[in-house]
Amino acid sequence: MISPELKDIILRVLRLDDVELHDATTAAEVPGWDSLSHVAILSAVEEAYGIRFRTMDILRLRTVGDLQALVDRKSGTASGARP
Amino acid sequence: MPTLWSRWLDLVDAAPDAPAVVHAKAGEEPFRWRRGELLAAASRYAAQLAAEGVRPGDVCALIVRHHRDFYPLYLGVAAIGALPAVLAYPNPRLHPAKFREGLMGMSRRSGLDWLLVERDLEAIVRPLTAGSGSTIRELLFPLEWNRGAGEVMEVFPPGPADDAAPCLLQHSSGTTGLQKPVVLSHRAVLEHVSVYSRSIALSPSDRVVSWLPLYHDMGLIAAFHLPLASGIPTMQLDPFEWVAAPILLLEAIAAERGTLTWLPNFAYNLLADRCRDDEMEGIALDSMRMFINCSEPVRAESHARFLARFARYGVRPEMLAACYAMAETTFAATQTAPGEPARVVAASREALAEGRVRSAGAGDVVRACVSSGRPIAGCVVEAVDGERRRLPAGQVGELRIRSGSMFDGYRHYPEKTAEVLADGWYYSGDYGFIDGGECFVVGRKKDIVIIAGKNIYPEDVEDLVGNIDGVLPGRVVAFGVDDDALGTEQLCVVAETECAGDDAQGRLRRRIVEAAMQIDITVSRVYLVSPRWLVKSSSGKPSRNGNRVRVLEELGAAAAAQTE
Repeated sequence: MISPELKDIILRVLRLDDVELHDATTAAEVPGWDSLSHVAILSAVEEAYGIRFRTMDILRLRTVGDLQALVDRKSGTASGARP
Repeated sequence: MPTLWSRWLDLVDAAPDAPAVVHAKAGEEPFRWRRGELLAAASRYAAQLAAEGVRPGDVCALIVRHHRDFYPLYLGVAAIGALPAVLAYPNPRLHPAKFREGLMGMSRRSGLDWLLVERDLEAIVRPLTAGSGSTIRELLFPLEWNRGAGEVMEVFPPGPADDAAPCLLQHSSGTTGLQKPVVLSHRAVLEHVSVYSRSIALSPSDRVVSWLPLYHDMGLIAAFHLPLASGIPTMQLDPFEWVAAPILLLEAIAAERGTLTWLPNFAYNLLADRCRDDEMEGIALDSMRMFINCSEPVRAESHARFLARFARYGVRPEMLAACYAMAETTFAATQTAPGEPARVVAASREALAEGRVRSAGAGDVVRACVSSGRPIAGCVVEAVDGERRRLPAGQVGELRIRSGSMFDGYRHYPEKTAEVLADGWYYSGDYGFIDGGECFVVGRKKDIVIIAGKNIYPEDVEDLVGNIDGVLPGRVVAFGVDDDALGTEQLCVVAETECAGDDAQGRLRRRIVEAAMQIDITVSRVYLVSPRWLVKSSSGKPSRNGNRVRVLEELGAAAAAQTE
């Protein structure tokens, strides 16, 4: 599941009204998500959640679900651990 | 005169264990090719290629991702006198059919004989062989041959004998399938490398570090052929990894004690904006001699931002150099002298728009023009007027170049060659001026948009968008607008439509962005306007510049607010 917060950040950076995002969605399937906007999305996510990604974290990302999992892990809100 | 291969053999004889190419992959120890091992592996690839039927003069398109065996494979093609042509591996955004169409166009134009590809591409490119009307004879999957590892040889193949023979084919940048093929001889490449080396005072203690793709002349000639033929090591990073994690370049410079790198302008902004202090810990950049800005208009603001960000890590103003280069002159035409900062002329924007260079005075809007340096040896650069007459210094015109390493013309493309090559001059289509013997590039004669070092022809985007359901046919313009934050341009599309309502317009806007993505172009802004809104030029077609001005004045703020 992609959280509404993460989705909002992605939509804002890509200037999209709406787009369907699933765990398996890849950047190539999302309008405007190219290599330069990818970096901008990651920066916006880091800022919004107050977290820092490491180089290898970034390079292992393949899908939006991977990004959600990374955000959850870094911000300590892994969905399973949520109250 | 030597050939590329004989030059490499000489370097092996001189020091077989000297480092040649360092292949970097994030999270792994770099793989280090020594000269002798690299040429031995190249010889094994050459033998297998010959056994597969590759002959001298054949064009071998290489479409493989960042791989440590890419280098010996490339050299192996050269060893048998065939021509390597490095092509971009298709981006996942690029529609497979569009990629295939592009290759088909390129095959007909450039005369590709063999595709050396990864197995992943087989299904997409197989239809291009036998009976398809392309020139491609067969697909080969050389990375599966595992010829990289093995004994270092006592005797290497002699390689091609004629230094006037072609040694490689590179493409001018542009839309896939419409790029213009440039064939270079051994002599042209070696001479260029030698002249250009002197212009940057290359020495045996230099070390190149590069993330540039090798299908681009800047990556192939400056960051690969130049170090290889000069006997200095070059570290090659994965372009896809670098753009996701720009810090990789600075880490590599620090680890290898790099001295030279070539970058398109947007990279200065990306590095300055995306490398955080905590990541920079322990990174020293003081080994660098030059960061050479090339392939996009050089922006003073990008240099300033980069310097402000990295001065504390050892970057000094005189390290920020620039170069004016193009595939047609093998690579460089002008270059900043080593040890000097690139000169900046604060010109009046208004005077510049009228074609004159005048120092900005009080009340003038300033356009900071960055020098690309003086012509390298054997090169002459002049600005000319519309009649191709030479202009005095300080006047803006099309830049033309005479070079000792000039191409002989686009392969199989006499009409394009005739447009740009006359009396030994190459007419670049770039606008600029000469001041103090230095070359300043300020714009383009044609409406090419350069985004992150990649040339985009507005016609391609307009044709595509004009065919989208909901857009009035032919009533589209595409143009670039400066994005100072990114240090590059962004692509805007304005399309007339009868489509009304937020939902319908939102869907149409989305269809336009998606269609462009399928040809691997990102449209940053879509402005939908009512029929007959677009300003026409005297030819009756929508005018790019006229509409650019109108959009920025009338719609810029409103439309930006709407899409954000």
